[in-house]
Amino acid sequence: MSEGFSRRTFLGNGLAVGGGLILGSSLLSGCDSGAAVSGAAALSSTPVQGGRLRVGIIDGDQSGNLDAHKPVGGGIIRGWALYSKFWEWNTDVSTRLALAEFAEPNADASAWIIRIKPGLEFHHGKSIGADDMLFSILRLTDPKLASPFAGLVGAIDRNALRKLDERTIEIRFKEGQSFYPLDETLISFGGIVPTDYDPISNPVGAGPYKLKSFIPGQRSLYQRFENYYKPGQPYADELEIIEFKDQVSRAAALRAGQIDVASGVQAEHSALLKADSRLKLYASPSTSFTGFNLNLAKAPFQDQRVRQAFRLLADRRELVDRGLNGFGRIANDLYSPHDPTYNHSIAQRPYDLEQARSLLRQAGQDDLRVELTTTPGPGVNAALVFAQQAKKAGVEIKVTQVDGSVFNGPQRENWLMSPGSTPARGFLASALHNDAPQAIYNRSNFHDERFTSLYRQALAQPDLAQRKVLVHEAQSIQHERGGLLIWGFNDVLDAASVRVGGLAPEQTTFASWRFDEMWVNHA
Amino acid sequence: MPEPSCKTPRTPAWFSWFIGRLGYGLLTAWVISLVVFIATQALPSDPARVILGPDAPLESILTLQKQLGLDRPILEQYLRWLGHALSGELGVSLDSNAPVGSILFGRFGYTLALLAGVIAVVVPAALLLGVSLALRRDSRLDRWSLSLLIFLKATPGFLLAIGLVLLFSMPHIDVLPAVSILDPDKSLLRQLQFLVLPVLALSLSALPYLTRMVRASMIEALESDYVVAARLRGIPEWRIVWRHTLPNALIPAIQGVALTLRTLIGGALLAEVIFSYPGIGTSLNSAIQMRDLPMVQAIVLVITLGVVLINLFADLLTVLLTPKLRTARRVTMIRRNRRGIQPWWRRSPSKAP
Amino acid sequence: MNDSRRLRWQPWLAEPQTRKGTLITLAVVMLALLGPLLAPHSPTAMVGSVYGAPVGAAWLGYDFLGHDVLSRLLSGGLSVLWMSVAAASIALLTGSTLGLLAGFSRRRLDQLITWLADVSLAFPDLILVLLIVSMLGRAPWLIVLTVSIAFTPGVIRLARGSAVAVAGQEFVEAAQMMGYSRRRILFKEILPNILTPLLVHFGNMLTWGVGMLSGLSFLGYGVAPPTADWGLMINENQAGLLVQPWAVLAPAILIGIFAYGTNILAEGIGRSSSRIGEKQP
Repeated sequence: MSEGFSRRTFLGNGLAVGGGLILGSSLLSGCDSGAAVSGAAALSSTPVQGGRLRVGIIDGDQSGNLDAHKPVGGGIIRGWALYSKFWEWNTDVSTRLALAEFAEPNADASAWIIRIKPGLEFHHGKSIGADDMLFSILRLTDPKLASPFAGLVGAIDRNALRKLDERTIEIRFKEGQSFYPLDETLISFGGIVPTDYDPISNPVGAGPYKLKSFIPGQRSLYQRFENYYKPGQPYADELEIIEFKDQVSRAAALRAGQIDVASGVQAEHSALLKADSRLKLYASPSTSFTGFNLNLAKAPFQDQRVRQAFRLLADRRELVDRGLNGFGRIANDLYSPHDPTYNHSIAQRPYDLEQARSLLRQAGQDDLRVELTTTPGPGVNAALVFAQQAKKAGVEIKVTQVDGSVFNGPQRENWLMSPGSTPARGFLASALHNDAPQAIYNRSNFHDERFTSLYRQALAQPDLAQRKVLVHEAQSIQHERGGLLIWGFNDVLDAASVRVGGLAPEQTTFASWRFDEMWVNHA
Repeated sequence: MPEPSCKTPRTPAWFSWFIGRLGYGLLTAWVISLVVFIATQALPSDPARVILGPDAPLESILTLQKQLGLDRPILEQYLRWLGHALSGELGVSLDSNAPVGSILFGRFGYTLALLAGVIAVVVPAALLLGVSLALRRDSRLDRWSLSLLIFLKATPGFLLAIGLVLLFSMPHIDVLPAVSILDPDKSLLRQLQFLVLPVLALSLSALPYLTRMVRASMIEALESDYVVAARLRGIPEWRIVWRHTLPNALIPAIQGVALTLRTLIGGALLAEVIFSYPGIGTSLNSAIQMRDLPMVQAIVLVITLGVVLINLFADLLTVLLTPKLRTARRVTMIRRNRRGIQPWWRRSPSKAP
Repeated sequence: MNDSRRLRWQPWLAEPQTRKGTLITLAVVMLALLGPLLAPHSPTAMVGSVYGAPVGAAWLGYDFLGHDVLSRLLSGGLSVLWMSVAAASIALLTGSTLGLLAGFSRRRLDQLITWLADVSLAFPDLILVLLIVSMLGRAPWLIVLTVSIAFTPGVIRLARGSAVAVAGQEFVEAAQMMGYSRRRILFKEILPNILTPLLVHFGNMLTWGVGMLSGLSFLGYGVAPPTADWGLMINENQAGLLVQPWAVLAPAILIGIFAYGTNILAEGIGRSSSRIGEKQP
């Protein structure tokens, strides 16, 4: 590994760090609740083997599937039990090697070599080889599978995948381009599966638990995988993932002891759960952002002054307080503050109604009317709060709710203003979700010549120091004339019975999905 | 039971009436299936987009649309669906990729259990309450109970259910599980505690209608000539009530139960959602939200067939239990009786006085 | 049979249940009408903390965004009420027209209408409404129309049934013998006599309508925020049910009271008319 990879080797066992999370200074504002809530009791005790760990997840109305590469709904969470990948996430949203023992790009990141550990096995006893690795990547990127997540690794050249030996493969990219953030993009949905894999008839992987039964929309039951690549883990004999349609019924189930862990608790319930002595609340100060996309392709947002005015009139503190119920931190219209390349020298944008008004006046938009399109659900809250704030600057925002299928339909890049959010990822990967030149989709239609060139250079630059320079400039462009209004980073709340150990807050969004780390005091 | 005919032995009239009624019911179910299919296929959203989510590229969506057959004419899609449905093949859920039939089978059983539980609670309770209120007609108890029943009838059922959830998730009242997450590995009989609250919520909203129906028909029956005659003959009161009056008062209650069941299916949807009960109501709600068309169509078909069968069964029972109808010679006599009186302008002029 | 025309308010109001029902219904309607004027805050103003508990300044606490629950409650009655009244009225008008048309027309048309009504009755109405609304969207007029479509078959059956029953009675036959025209018989003799059952049904439809509209809102197919609406309040504050139950309970209670009022009003009308019926020779 080149010296640029220091962030990768930064953490040992992330979960051992627990309450003493190392957070960027910019993250600390307002996350006192996180530190206060995370107790130390569970951390001191040693893992307990056996028992059944029951995890309650919210699946909304989706019943989901088990597909490693095209997970739907709760399928993403179930994938954490069933599948292992080349890498896994550290608690600070960097990556570390998992199935792979070696994974590095060449000097200009135009090729990656990945070698897995020897002697690894799938759930059904077949040993993992290079063919399985190739099969998994080919399956993820298969146009016939039509995985929505294929776009993230869209740069991979399917025809140039090569098997070097029984445990090693080489990945190259389309048109010889460079692609440095392969780990961060392949990690999420690049579960390694055997060549005889089938998501319905043969859903096997190399994850900590193997499937016993799956009833879509209700629950799934798993059994400990004895040959998991981490010796001694997982701890529980059985894992059960129970799906709930709404938060209220799940909170009731958690309090009644029908489940041990509630993954992703609503902030509204935090006080209630905290007050219950049988439960513990874990607040993970994640760097997932929430904000709005201002569509640069349409009036009035073509005008940079209007974009700036909107960013100035957002009372970020209030948005965090009301939209996130206080469980979050304000943001500076930039994503990935945990990334070592993040430009901390850009000053926090203030809340300045006066300047916003005068900018709007200059732009000739004193009496502006804008439609904000959102899907039903939590996004609506922030939209309503922002609409109320915009009124103070004389901007009338109409919040329109459309169905998820319409929102993400053919119109998806045409909404004038729409909420945007991306789970915690590094700068390069987050940009792929939002405003990078090759973004899977770009709701803000931000296309800037200089930014594009900087981004492309950063993709080809494995060296941290040199990449940092590029990203710093790219971020100041985003801050100055970008189309994203990022007002906050939200905490992820998990609640668990006090009998559950191995769960601790982290900077990612999936503290409670680390099924190989959690145990239950079943005695 | 079939009345021996004077001339040639033939099937009783009610039987041919029943066959006609059955055909009528099936026709109804077919029309509904057609309407629902066309309406759902015409939904202004794209199931392929729903399945693949926000980040899907356009090619993936077009491929999936082709895989799902969404690019074909709607009638062709319907015929194919109907053909599959008739052979018991309900398609594959867009959402979970599992066969709809296998998902619905278990859930349908849970909903049936729920409805059976409600009927098992409501019918005896309504009979007991209805009869005792009829016997204490206009007493203070009667008036108070009626007010309470009106209150229960008026309160939207899902508010009752929310109230129960709220009550039973309080820290010290958690004797019953407020959430009905059934364990599919255990038999339902072992986890009856999960049924208690949903059954209670639904029973509370179904009880008023039936109770009042039993009460009204009991009062009517108690005032009828034959009861007066029986009283004059000195037959003991309890015998009059339980042996002579009640059976007659029960016949309208059969239709009442049928009607209750139909409204219960709608109410069960809300109750299932509130209690997270894994029945077909919750799956219909999520299928609608997810635009999971094969699921919606299959569930609607099942519900429609269910309602049609319930009505059919109730009508048959009514005919069989009403002596005049059971022994009717001609189908038209039954039909007329069930459809109301023949209007004046349709009678033949000779009959007019 | 001319006293059918005198049969108006007086005998109905003589029934205590009618009076009670009228009073309750009117109280809720007044609250909904005057409420917006009495509300201490704008229903969309965020004045308190999210799910703040009831305090002196806000008797019912704050809701999911920190709106004053009391203000939203006072401002949010109108939509539920007009929507349920509109839905019930449309259903009453179309249903009774179709029902009378069926009852007094040729057998073919009669059979067609009755059959269509039967077909739609074979379908649980909440599910019907859910399907239509999820398909066509949540514009208020659409929801009203959908709910009225769900209610119409019941009215058709009732109107047809009672019209046909009335038509068989002696006074109609007498009128017919006196040579009155069919239209005169229909409007002067039959319509007044089926008015009572229809009105009772109207009251019931109001009850069901409120229940159905709030149920739809609960499932997420109602009025769009930030409008204040009782049904919507139940939906949007559901998450806080265990923390700040008043934001859900208060609108739920008002919906319940309104439904109760319209229901006993209907009961009262039904009861008083049956009493009048008893007095009739």
